Amino acid sequence: MKILADDWHVLTGSYALDALPDPERAEFERHLQHCPSCEAEVRGLRETAARLAMAQALQPPPGMEQRVLAAAYRTRQLPPLPPEHLHHRPIPRRMTAFAAAASVAAAVGLGITQVSTQHKLESTQASDAAVTRVVTAPDARIEATSTSAGGSVTVVASTALREAVITSTGMVSLPAGRVYQVWVISPSGARSAGLMAGRSTLLASAVVPGDRIGITVEPAGGTSKPTTTPVAVLPA
Amino acid sequence: MPRMGGMSRPDIRQWQPPTEAEPDLVALVARVARGDHQAFELVYGELAGPVYGVVRQVLRDPAQSEEVAQEVLLEVWRTASRFDPARGSAAAWVLTIAHRRAVDRVRSESAGSRREQKAAATEMVPDDVAEVVAATLDHQRVRRCLDGLTELQRESVKLAYYGGYTYPQVAHLLGVALGTVKTRIRDGLIRMRDCMEVTW
Repeated sequence: MKILADDWHVLTGSYALDALPDPERAEFERHLQHCPSCEAEVRGLRETAARLAMAQALQPPPGMEQRVLAAAYRTRQLPPLPPEHLHHRPIPRRMTAFAAAASVAAAVGLGITQVSTQHKLESTQASDAAVTRVVTAPDARIEATSTSAGGSVTVVASTALREAVITSTGMVSLPAGRVYQVWVISPSGARSAGLMAGRSTLLASAVVPGDRIGITVEPAGGTSKPTTTPVAVLPA
Repeated sequence: MPRMGGMSRPDIRQWQPPTEAEPDLVALVARVARGDHQAFELVYGELAGPVYGVVRQVLRDPAQSEEVAQEVLLEVWRTASRFDPARGSAAAWVLTIAHRRAVDRVRSESAGSRREQKAAATEMVPDDVAEVVAATLDHQRVRRCLDGLTELQRESVKLAYYGGYTYPQVAHLLGVALGTVKTRIRDGLIRMRDCMEVTW
């Protein structure tokens, strides 16, 4: 039996509260490695759980401090992990410069699909001029990856402009009532960059190095937080 | 020195969070990673109360709670170099270790049976024990935000976190389906996060 992405995602809360029984806890931890939106949500919920703990602070028993300090100063500390062991994700393969340039040129040429502003999604009214500004910025970086919904997605980002242009091609058409939604994922969570219908281009603002771009399938109109496993995630 | 009559019960020792502006825990933990004793004592001052409180909430038994709280704080000393500030606050890092240790202890059988004799599930450690819950802003805020949840969300979150139960155990205790509990825990916690304006 295959566990669906949505079933996994609903476990973020139980995981953050240490309420997953053991085999499931380990499975969910493996799933987290491949689900940036789950991971972002777990972080926020862990912080929330920490507030629940802060609210229950109690005076520790007398003498505990002395016992802890004495034990600590007799205990050797772990050395830092070498950098390659820090949290790393596989870097999506890069497109050839030619293919990337062609796809961006095509996006600019085709103009920008108007993004939905329903539900106050902070969608940007991208203009051709804005997209051109990003893709021609001297510090523009290009990342591309294939998506689990077919096709590929390309991100061109400029640190100086703090903007990123997201272009998709060839992703499967979704049934009525479903839409592709683009997210900017940072340590503080995921925020919507707008909705993508078929082949389209979005402009995301306030994008900083270290952010990632993710695309999920969401109910028509979009949601305020990702609710499914992304079909693609790539660095911004 | 003579006590001012009748203002408070003499046997109650309120846990007082340090009154200074909140120290930068991230910087302190970085100093702890370099073996700085003074920094560790400051971290202890900030977090020993919450660590002991949450462990005691789950385990109930004071002696066992102290033992686990000590292990947690020692773990903080030992693994300070592994704390990654990009992945969450220092307080959440420490309190995640604390809750998990308490829960691991509960789920080992012997501790579980001892604990069941101790107390019913959802009730909080009562306020009139010698160590009193701090009437901090955190406490009031959490209480207010918990009040904003539906009954089922609130009970699910409290049983899971303060009770240390797994979600199947919570489902059993509340007499609802597994899927319902998973959803209520997540929805309730998301609502708490938004109510408390958690920024991570």
